[in-house]
Amino acid sequence: MNVLVCIKQVPDMESKFRVDAAGTWYDTTELAWRMNEYDEYAVEQAVRLKEQVKDADITVLSIGSDKVKETMKKALAMGCDRGAHIADDNVSGKEPCEIAGVIAEYAKEKNFDVIFTGMQSQDRGSGQVGVLVAEMLTLPAVTTIVDFVYSDGRIEVKRELEGGIKAKVAFTSPAVVTCQLGLNTPRYPTLPNIMKAKKKELLSIPIKDLLKVDARQHTDKVYFPEKKGGGLIIEGEPAELADKLIQILKEKTGVLA
Amino acid sequence: MIFQLTEEQNLIRNMVREFAETEIAPTAKKRDEEERFDRPLMFDKLGELGLTGIVFPEEYGGAGADYISYAIAVEELSRVCASTGVTLSAHLSLCANPIYLFGSEEQKQKYLVPLAAGEKLGAFGLTEPSAGSDAGGTKTTALRDGDEWILNGTKIFITSGGDAETYVIFARTDKEAKKHNGISAFIIEKGAAGFSFGKKEEKLGIRSSPTMELVFENCRLPAANLLGKEGEGFKVAMKTLDGGRIGIASQAIGIAQGAFETAVDYAKERKQFDTPIGKFQGIQFQLADMFTQIEAARLLVYKAAYRASKGLNYSTDSAMAKLMASETAMKVTTQAVQVLGGYGYTREFPVERMMRDAKITEIYEGTSEIQRLVIGSALIK
Repeated sequence: MNVLVCIKQVPDMESKFRVDAAGTWYDTTELAWRMNEYDEYAVEQAVRLKEQVKDADITVLSIGSDKVKETMKKALAMGCDRGAHIADDNVSGKEPCEIAGVIAEYAKEKNFDVIFTGMQSQDRGSGQVGVLVAEMLTLPAVTTIVDFVYSDGRIEVKRELEGGIKAKVAFTSPAVVTCQLGLNTPRYPTLPNIMKAKKKELLSIPIKDLLKVDARQHTDKVYFPEKKGGGLIIEGEPAELADKLIQILKEKTGVLA
Repeated sequence: MIFQLTEEQNLIRNMVREFAETEIAPTAKKRDEEERFDRPLMFDKLGELGLTGIVFPEEYGGAGADYISYAIAVEELSRVCASTGVTLSAHLSLCANPIYLFGSEEQKQKYLVPLAAGEKLGAFGLTEPSAGSDAGGTKTTALRDGDEWILNGTKIFITSGGDAETYVIFARTDKEAKKHNGISAFIIEKGAAGFSFGKKEEKLGIRSSPTMELVFENCRLPAANLLGKEGEGFKVAMKTLDGGRIGIASQAIGIAQGAFETAVDYAKERKQFDTPIGKFQGIQFQLADMFTQIEAARLLVYKAAYRASKGLNYSTDSAMAKLMASETAMKVTTQAVQVLGGYGYTREFPVERMMRDAKITEIYEGTSEIQRLVIGSALIK
């Protein structure tokens, strides 16, 4: 069985973000980087699938500068077998269709049985790459999965819908699935597996070899929303606070006459 | 000279940090209050991650990583919980390592493999009521009786005592020999007849790591349990402590780092006179000193770890690393409490626990005074 997992390196979401000089993305200096959370579920599920079927080979793919290899190494240490690094120093300037085009170009003749991706990236959050890859490879795409069962070429997943409803969807491989929070708990890479990861194949392919799709959209501007009027903080002793609050409610609202 | 961690070391740091923050940190405060050792969390899980045998070759169930990776692992655990940090350090440096360095192949297969796999927890017994810094003062005796050794005596302040299954113990095998020459090392397993546990210490810090007294009353051991050569126990102990110092120095760095980060976060948020206190130079200078001291100590620790990995002599290096790191931990945690002011003194924030935990790093596995002695005597050889 041949499995592909597509992952992205994103900043730690607790970082302090600043808009970059061009005003079209965030400033990437002085940020701590990690694997996109949803992609961790994708990697974990791929490794579990391999553990189930035994005879499987997992390729982890990521696009970006040499720095993304750090994140790919984690995926290798979690259990992926080989890495395909698509070298691109301007990945943040690519729109989802281009990213999907590159992945599809890489995957098109490799007969992957299942392609796992996160349901979206934590930074751009378009949620488009997985489904576009499926479309380009003419494969079924099933999104936001929270449960995955594979049996002899048949896949049964649960999808998360709005309002707490779930849907059960069945299909046959090959297919693309995008993974949502709740699918699994990603494992920690163990020390022996971290040590083994350095011996695994990690090939770099220049993006120009795979980028054959033109951009269809571009980001005009990235900005912080304007601050709305802040809340009102009143201070003092409880009795005093109650008086102040009553006064405000009387003056500014119709709650108290 | 390259001041950069390898990709592998970075991966190990990230993994241990994530594990420590997610699994260890949430209960650190409560375990400290309850003086509770949570073995499944604080040791068994470390075994599952491959941390319990991190520096040993794969053939003995280890991960084959270097000493810097080990230092990083202890540091990251101690950043959130010093008790978990010392559990790993004592297990690996003080019990598994002497078996790796001095054990026969048979002893390595029998004892080191399960220790490295995290199936068994290890401990080390050198200190006695009358022998601490002066290991030559060991009073515990081991007398040969046919194919057996008979041990009698008491060991005190034993980290993981009672909970550990495998113990490396030092006893006097030759009463006539000069102080240091008559000592030998033994491997003893929990459950051996005549081996029991005395009182559990109530401590200022590292309260979630058990510290116990070991009692040997006519404890009979097969001759095969002698570790290293008869009469060379002092050498085993000193070599073991060289490695142990890297572990404790790393623990100290972790404690200091944890307190420092808490102080920085607090200084950014806490406002006085309508200004975050971190904007005041008085606080900034303190944070700058803390950061500089931690970085300086960390470099000494990594240097000692580097030399250990390369098979170079690192006795003085590990003594300097431990001296600097432990004194830094005490200074930084005390300063962190000061930055947090009244809140720092309460249990609402972890810095008071870190300050209590830091103190022991200046005492165990060689007090600061002994480290100075080690460094000084190497200078005036």
